[in-house]
Amino acid sequence: MLKLVVCIKQVPMVSELPWNSKTGTLRREMAEGMINPACKHALESALVLKQEHNCHITVITMGPPMAEEVLYEAIAMGADCGILLTDPRMAGADTLITSRTLAATIETRCPDFDLILCGCHTSDSETGQVGPQLAENMNIAGAAYIEHMELNGRTLRMKRVVDEFLETLEMDLPGLVTINTRTYIPRYVPLDGLQNAFEKQDIKLIDADELGIDPKTIGMKASPTRILDVYSPVEEKKNVVMKGAVKKMVDRLFDEYGDRISAAIGKDLKTHDHDEEQT
Amino acid sequence: MDFNPCMKHKLVRKSAREFAETELGPVAGEIDQNARFPEEVIEKMRSLNYFGLQIPKKYGGAEIDSISYATVIEELSRVCAGIGLCVTVHNSVGAYPIVRFGTSEQKKRFLPALASGERIGAFCLTEANAGSDAGGVETNAVAEKDGFVINGTKIFVTNGGVCGTALVFAITDHENPRKRASVFVVENDTPGFSVGEIEDLCGMRANQVSSLFFEDCRVSRQNLIGRLGDGLKIGLMALDTGRIGIAAQALGIAQGAFDASVKYSKERQQFNKPISSFQTIQNYLADMATEIDAGRLLLYRACSFKDAGRPFGAEAAKAKLYCSELASRITSRAVQIHGGYGYSKEYDVERYFRDAKVTEIYEGSSEVQRMVISRAVLSQLS
Repeated sequence: MLKLVVCIKQVPMVSELPWNSKTGTLRREMAEGMINPACKHALESALVLKQEHNCHITVITMGPPMAEEVLYEAIAMGADCGILLTDPRMAGADTLITSRTLAATIETRCPDFDLILCGCHTSDSETGQVGPQLAENMNIAGAAYIEHMELNGRTLRMKRVVDEFLETLEMDLPGLVTINTRTYIPRYVPLDGLQNAFEKQDIKLIDADELGIDPKTIGMKASPTRILDVYSPVEEKKNVVMKGAVKKMVDRLFDEYGDRISAAIGKDLKTHDHDEEQT
Repeated sequence: MDFNPCMKHKLVRKSAREFAETELGPVAGEIDQNARFPEEVIEKMRSLNYFGLQIPKKYGGAEIDSISYATVIEELSRVCAGIGLCVTVHNSVGAYPIVRFGTSEQKKRFLPALASGERIGAFCLTEANAGSDAGGVETNAVAEKDGFVINGTKIFVTNGGVCGTALVFAITDHENPRKRASVFVVENDTPGFSVGEIEDLCGMRANQVSSLFFEDCRVSRQNLIGRLGDGLKIGLMALDTGRIGIAAQALGIAQGAFDASVKYSKERQQFNKPISSFQTIQNYLADMATEIDAGRLLLYRACSFKDAGRPFGAEAAKAKLYCSELASRITSRAVQIHGGYGYSKEYDVERYFRDAKVTEIYEGSSEVQRMVISRAVLSQLS
C-alpha cells in the first residue's frame, strides 16, 4: 500500500471576512477558516492517486484547535486520517520552522511514507516555500508546481508548465511534490463522507511535548523571519495633464512612461527612435 | 444550551453553500424562467448523497442529523428554492415515511434507489377537493386478492414530473372515519400510473410540479406502508417532518434575499451615497436580520426535539409558520430595497419574492399551522 501524506493549511475565508478599513487588515479574530485553495488541489491529486492505486492518505495541518475543521473536511473528501499539530508554542512559525516541524512529525508519525503532497502556495502568505523546504529538510527528492502525475511502480512521472514549456520529470519514491492549481480540480464534499468523518473521529491532536520536539526550535521565537509591516497596497492611479510644445510632450511621454506603454502594447519602444520618425 | 454551531454543522453549511453557489447559482435564473429541471446538476447531487440525507447508511444514505439536514435545505434554497424543494420533499415526505414505518423488506426494496436519487420521491395527498382537509381525499384503493387497485387524481404534486417513487394517500375504508386512509408506494413504471402537464406556477418553477393519475393502478400488499388505515397517522407524521424542511427552505429564500439586499445596498448610490448609509435602509436590514435569526432558532429547536425523540409537531409548526411568513415579508422588503431593479427578472430578488409565497401555503398552510399550534397550546394543563 502506498502511504501518502498531504500537508494542508487552514487560511481565513477572505470573502466572509470583515475588513478593517482603517488599518487595512483582516479581522482574523472573526475569520471563518477554510482549506487553503492550493492545498485542496494537492489533496485532490492524492485522492486521484488513491482511486488508481492502493493508497492510504494522512492529512497533516498545524494550527489552532479550530484548524481541526480542515482535517474533517479532508477526511470527508476521502482522506483516511488526520494529524493536527496544535500548541500555542508553535504559533507564529515562519516557513522554515513550519517545514521543520512538519518534517519532525512525518519522520515520527509517518516514517514509512512514500509521497508527500503540498499545495504550491497559500492564499494568506503566498510564499510557496514550505513544500520545497520540507523536501530539503527530509533529504528527499522534490518537484514543485506539478500538474499531472503518473505512478509506475516506485517511479513517479510528473508534468509541469515552466516558462511556457511543458516539462516532464521523473523521480523515485519517496519524494515530495507541490501541486499547481490549474489541474486536479477539487471534488465537492459528499454529505455521507462528512457524516462518516465525524463518526470516525480519526484525528490525532499532537502538541510539542508529544511530538518530542525541543520547544526552543518551534514557533515564532525560533523563526528567523520577521514581519516588519503588513499593509494594503495603496492605489496610485493618478491623471497627469501635459502641457507645452508637442515634441516636448511626446519626449516626456516616452521618457517617463515608455516602459508602461511598451508593456501595454507588447512592443519594446526603446529600440524605436521616435525622434527620427518625427523629423 | 449552546448556540454556537458545532464544527460539523459549519462544515455542512460550507459544503452545501459551495455546491449550491457553484452549480445551481449559474442556472438558477434560467431554470426558473424555462421551468426546467436541471438534470445535469441533479446528477452531481446524486453522487454527493443529497438524495439520501436522512436515509440510514445501510440503505445507502448519509443518515445526517436534522440540523445538518435543515442546513443543507437552507443553503440549496438560498440559491435555488425550486431545487431545495425537490430535495426536501424527496427526503422528508418522499422517503422518511418508509424509513419510519416501512418493514425491513420494504426498506431494502425502496430505500437504496431513493437514497441514490435514481428514483426521486413524491408525496401525493392534495386533490381537487382535498387540501387542508385531508379527509376530503377521494382517491381510493380497493383490496383484491393479492393487493390493491388504486384510482384517483392527485394535483400539485411536488416532483410529480420527475418522480420515480410516489407515496399515495388513498381511502381504503369508507366507513371508519379514523381509519379511512392508507399510504401506498407506487412506482412510476406501474401500469395505470401517468403524469399530467407540468404546472405553470408563480414560483418554484424549476420544480416539476404536476398532477399524477392513477387508473386501475395495481400494487401488491407489500406496497402498503404501515397497517391498513394508518394513513392519517403516517400522513401527519410525514407532514411534521416535512414542515422542518419547508421552514428551512423558507429561511434559505429569506437569507438569499437578505444577502442580496445587503450587497445591493452597499453598491447602489443615491444622493451621492450608498443607500446603506440611510437610516431607513439600515432599519430594514436590521429587522430582516433579526427575523431571520429568530426563525433559525425556532427551526433548530424543532430539529433538536426531533433528533432527541421528543414530540416535535408543534415546534415544527411554529418554525414553519414563522419562517414562511418571514420569507414573504423579507423578500418583499428585499424588492423594496432594490427599487425598480428588484421588480425586474434581471435581479434574483424578483425570483425570491415569487418563490416565498407558496411556503405559506404548502405542507400545511399558515392557517393549518396556527390550528396545530393552538391545539398544542390549549391541550396543555393550566
